[in-house]
Amino acid sequence: MKGKYHIVVQNNKLRYELEIKRNITIIRGDSATGKTTLIGLLESAASLGEDSGIEVVCERPVRTLSGNDWNLLLPNLHGQILFLDEENRFMKTREFAAAVRASDNYFVIITREDLPNLPYSVDEIYGIHTSGKYHDMKRTYNEMYRIYSTEKLSGRQRPDEVIVEDTNSGYEFFSEICSGSEIRCASAGGKSNLKAVLSEAQEENTLVIADGAAIGAEMNELYQLMLYKPSLKCYLPESFEWLILKSGIIDGKEVRDILNHPEEYIESQEYFSWERFFTAMLVDYTKDSYLKYSKSRLNKAYLHGRVKEAVLKTMEGIDFSGAETEK
Amino acid sequence: MLKIVFGDVPNSIYHPPTYFDNRYEDEWITDPLTVEMIKDIDKSDVIGVHLIESPVLGPISTKEISGGVKTLILMAFDTSGKIFNASACGDNCAKWIVELGKRKDLTINLHHVMDFSSVGTFDAVMQNTGRVIHNYGEYLEEAIGIKER
Repeated sequence: MKGKYHIVVQNNKLRYELEIKRNITIIRGDSATGKTTLIGLLESAASLGEDSGIEVVCERPVRTLSGNDWNLLLPNLHGQILFLDEENRFMKTREFAAAVRASDNYFVIITREDLPNLPYSVDEIYGIHTSGKYHDMKRTYNEMYRIYSTEKLSGRQRPDEVIVEDTNSGYEFFSEICSGSEIRCASAGGKSNLKAVLSEAQEENTLVIADGAAIGAEMNELYQLMLYKPSLKCYLPESFEWLILKSGIIDGKEVRDILNHPEEYIESQEYFSWERFFTAMLVDYTKDSYLKYSKSRLNKAYLHGRVKEAVLKTMEGIDFSGAETEK
Repeated sequence: MLKIVFGDVPNSIYHPPTYFDNRYEDEWITDPLTVEMIKDIDKSDVIGVHLIESPVLGPISTKEISGGVKTLILMAFDTSGKIFNASACGDNCAKWIVELGKRKDLTINLHHVMDFSSVGTFDAVMQNTGRVIHNYGEYLEEAIGIKER
């Protein structure tokens, strides 16, 4: 399934509006914001239809998924938007993650748990914003130039230390960039190791660089670490490959169209999360050129001249030069 | 004293709101502590044992209060010895959990790192490691090092 979907759920006392554009959306937040009430409305509407008095407007069928027989039901559902409430303990199992991966449905999951088996985006974690009868979704983590911080940002940020989530091409790139700027650079060896590495971070201004498209499960703890150590910041592009594509070094209207509306091109059943699509896209678009890309080992062409400069220029808000932070 | 245990533990209730619906006692609802928690979290008024006045929904039943408040009420009044999953509570319940832990020995179960930053200073025993923490920073450092969720 691909595409962006607007959902309205309402009765005469409540109205919810949501926009869903990836296979996994997470809703969490304070108590008493109406999450369980939304599930109740959807359950009644699904079982009674118009007789419920509840109006559900969406281009795709919308329903809830719950109970011990979820795994019998899910294979029979296609092209739907499925809501799951926090009571469903199966949501954190590997079996459920495998089922989501194989599914052609979108999933909206209400939970405060991290669900590390599911690769969801930092951009698709929401709380419900309530104003009287009206409820809409508000992003939990706000960014500026894809920099996530608990401090108000001003000017470009020059880190003293960079911690890169991965050990592959992305790390090779940033390690080389940092070595020329007297910035310490280390790999966390995977996103699940980030919080442990950050707990030990010694430098004043530490910048985490990770794939925003799949970092969702780490965000609660990363954000609390940022609350506790405000000089810690996260730079979360969709992925390193997305950064390269965004830099414009691979020209063409098609590339721009895809980057402007990825949801219209990324088939969720084929790509569990968007960073996998961008990797496949970059590999495909560079396969017959000097920029031939491999995730496991960085093509040195990315470290020179206009290519390197274009990627760094795309990272608005980050200063890798040797100077102090520009104001 | 507040005790916090992460991960699956025996005798815990994973979804306290459902447990509440089937086990709550009428007298819990009109207790001044409950009235205050419902007012603070749900912005609603307790009219009587069976009636709550919500600013959005109007008159609602006791079973329609938020899952977070249901869990807090269980933590405050249930005497079964069950350990309730505080991951059913939003961060706006954190101050009440700390308050309940001051009034009684309270063990809560967490499946995520709840944000206690709004409370700042509080004492708790981290059951997974045995360490006693005294503020949010100590809690966070300890919680992040615990593998169980």
